[in-house]
Amino acid sequence: MKIFSRRDFLKTGAMAGAATVASPLLSRDWYALSGAEAPGYFEREFGITDEMCRRVLAEALARGGDFADLYFEHTVSNYLSLEDGKVNRAASDIALGVGIRTVKGDQVGYGFTQELGEKPMLAAAATAATIASGSGRPPGGRFSSLRLADYYPLKSLLTAVPLESKLPLVQAVNDRCFALSPLVVKVNASFADQQKRILIVTSDGVKAEDLQPRTYLTAVVVAEKSGKRERAGWNFGGRRDFSYFTPALIDELAKTAVDRTLVMFDAVQPPAGEMPVVLGPGLTGVLLHEAIGHGMEADFNRKKISTYCTMIGKKVAEPFVTIVDDGTLPNMLGSINVDDEGTPGQKTVLVDKGILTGYLQDKISAKFYGVQPTGNGRRQSYQYAPIPRMRNTYMQAGPASRADVIKAAGNGIYVQDVSNGQVKIGEGDFAFYVFQGRMIENGQLGAPIKDVNIMGNGPKMLANTIMVADDFELSQGGTGSCGKGNQSAPCGFGQPTCLIKSLTVGGTRG
Amino acid sequence: MKQELYDLAAWGLKEAKAAGADACRIGIDGERTVEISYRDRKPENIKEASTKSLALEIFVNGRYSVMSTSDLRRDALKDFIGRAVAQTKLLAEDPFRTLPDPKYYQGRQTIDLEQVDPAYGALTPGDRHAFVKAIEGACLETGGDKVISVTAGSTDGYGESLLMTSNGFDGYSELTYFVGNAGMTGKDEGDRRPAEYSGAVALRRRDLPKPEEIGAEAARRTLALFGAKKIKTETLPIIIENRVVSRFGDGFMQAMFGRSIQQKQSFLADKKGQKVGSDFFVLIDDPFVKGGLGSRLFDGDGIAAVKRVMIDKGVVRDFYIDWYYSRKLGGEPTTGRPSNVIVPPGKRSVAEIMKDLGRGILITGFIGGNSNSTTGDTSIGIVGQLFEKGVPVQAVSEMNIADNHLKIWQRLVEVANDPYPYGAERVPSLVFKDVVVSGA
Repeated sequence: MKIFSRRDFLKTGAMAGAATVASPLLSRDWYALSGAEAPGYFEREFGITDEMCRRVLAEALARGGDFADLYFEHTVSNYLSLEDGKVNRAASDIALGVGIRTVKGDQVGYGFTQELGEKPMLAAAATAATIASGSGRPPGGRFSSLRLADYYPLKSLLTAVPLESKLPLVQAVNDRCFALSPLVVKVNASFADQQKRILIVTSDGVKAEDLQPRTYLTAVVVAEKSGKRERAGWNFGGRRDFSYFTPALIDELAKTAVDRTLVMFDAVQPPAGEMPVVLGPGLTGVLLHEAIGHGMEADFNRKKISTYCTMIGKKVAEPFVTIVDDGTLPNMLGSINVDDEGTPGQKTVLVDKGILTGYLQDKISAKFYGVQPTGNGRRQSYQYAPIPRMRNTYMQAGPASRADVIKAAGNGIYVQDVSNGQVKIGEGDFAFYVFQGRMIENGQLGAPIKDVNIMGNGPKMLANTIMVADDFELSQGGTGSCGKGNQSAPCGFGQPTCLIKSLTVGGTRG
Repeated sequence: MKQELYDLAAWGLKEAKAAGADACRIGIDGERTVEISYRDRKPENIKEASTKSLALEIFVNGRYSVMSTSDLRRDALKDFIGRAVAQTKLLAEDPFRTLPDPKYYQGRQTIDLEQVDPAYGALTPGDRHAFVKAIEGACLETGGDKVISVTAGSTDGYGESLLMTSNGFDGYSELTYFVGNAGMTGKDEGDRRPAEYSGAVALRRRDLPKPEEIGAEAARRTLALFGAKKIKTETLPIIIENRVVSRFGDGFMQAMFGRSIQQKQSFLADKKGQKVGSDFFVLIDDPFVKGGLGSRLFDGDGIAAVKRVMIDKGVVRDFYIDWYYSRKLGGEPTTGRPSNVIVPPGKRSVAEIMKDLGRGILITGFIGGNSNSTTGDTSIGIVGQLFEKGVPVQAVSEMNIADNHLKIWQRLVEVANDPYPYGAERVPSLVFKDVVVSGA
């Protein structure tokens, strides 16, 4: 638990939308590396050898744990922000440490240290070992390095891009937004980049390294009209390099942010109560993530606290509904070459043509269910043990046209953009904040709506998804993250337009 | 350890100046924490760690940046500081970015805020395990055959923090903290598995409730959600329970910050001196509560802490304005962030108020939702109990309240006598009339 941490306070402020990054504090050799870099980063930079890892793992298993792993992390983050027309704030952060986990059945002992010397690592391992109380056994033979696919190839490292190249990018966002409308009175723009390097070494002989980039460019616009003020924003990003941020992308970012702000002046409040809801393509996949995806994380089911724990093999949706969690999509925010316990990134089908086929597994839950891990063991940082987490979660395209889906809704609401979702895993109940949408009247899109909540129940919503369109989109944002167990992790979202028979809309008109 | 922090801070300031900074502010935190959780009457997780981190704010030629790191090797730090100073010089000039005028450092209180429990050092692993076992046992017992799963936990820690500036400020603080919690999932009708929790955090262990109370409360709260359903959309009085009321109040608080006001993202920007709530709406920021989670003698700028009335009988008296935004707004700073947020308690209990209200909803939890600090519009999902003449008659879920902060606080009709003791927001349960509660 962190309370009153000045560093976190500053970091949170700096992240005003997500990550930070730092001026690189690394050797010149590191700058030169890109793309398929030579393995052995932590050995080169910090002297971490296989023999040292073996000794630390032996200590972690000294009291009879079944399994142990080491998670080394070196994350460099940088952040630039613009306020009142000037790029006038930069922030940098370095996170360095190793987390040591001992597993005994479904029990976990965990210690971490920020010093990568053998002595502090042995002390952290001794803490982790206390979860067991038997006699130890040394880890197995040689470590075998995993050969991983590369789902986020980079032409150059983000942290190697000089500040002088980033500054005009942020300034351009500001200038484009102001040029688009005289109603714009304030613009906040920011650019963030991050390079997270990890090394996982396990007692069953797996060794895996990865370099996980993350970046985004954001615009938040405030506009004034007839004494009213409205605010909205947009962002683009993902696991990308600097070449992604073209002038055309900046134009699109500014236009989207300004358009989203101006439309809110015409927004109305929908009536309260139950009604058909059409979820637009792309970002509304957040709702799928929260309302359905979390309930399919294996730990919640292993503990029988998810409403989905008895539904494997059963029909949970219409045959045109297929839901996937995919860590292999190129450059998407939730993609991972390897998860945080050494399982390669992969694609996992959760609902196949309406049938619930599987859960998102980490190693502990996979052992419980007698299945292979699905590469969903993820963590926020070396300070946390891994738990089952989503990657890029989406519903595949269906057979209907978007126009037919909206027409079939009759009278209801169309949801464009949701945020602040939350689900109660056991009941399946969820609530989401609809930042923007439209009324649907007689099968046609009507007046804009904003600032209302929609509520429902995950399994019911899944069963009541009565039409799915063929216009699948993935959100191209770089700030999306998911919270679970006091940890956050970057995630991607996607969805085609689909019609939910009925959800509760929380308007102010009774 | 304290001297170690001072030595590192002084070294960091010196290095930053040597690298070309005109001024700087450094913060160093150290923390030791132990977490234990139990499930199925055995430890589920044990975690222990010590951390240290450093944050350095750099001011150079009217330009500003922040660097932070957990890599405290001196050679690595020196390199990082040098690069950060060089990077800062490339940013746009911002004349408002300076360290505070040292006169605002003056007048710091010297009272003991009682944020360190002297008994912390004597806490043993056995004490911790016994505490968590007692929580779990009480929850299992109270939940009986309705229990699907119970998780009980405790966290405790010691933290110390130093803030030092190049223009003469230094402030050191330390605290201990103790957390006990429990969560239960129960077997309801069909596939519904209601879950609820209870928990408490305190800086002194003696201020925590007994572990048996924490465990039993989690079970009682879970059982109370059995059979929950939505009712028809209706305009009703609502009572927001003390332990969750701060989540609703946060939507109002967002608009009270200097940044929101200066960036035109506050629905309160032009409301200073105006009435935005009923006479029952009083909000005090009190940094001097003994053992308070938000207590402090100085803030992140180093500005000496002051007790302030922020809202008085519904009238906005003050905002949370740090040094930077005070300069941008052209006024005096107050403080950049809340300390202990106090709403003075009323005279009646929630039970007494419920009897008089007739039909209404007691909100015990929120789900999802948001608040727009620019317009004041808010919409949030609720969980709780429909009551009639003081008696809960139906657990409710999948329901929502939507309103605007400039309107709903005018309908605050009573404050209960139960300020929440386990948070920096010491707010009692609040009663609002005529709220549209959306459901079926």
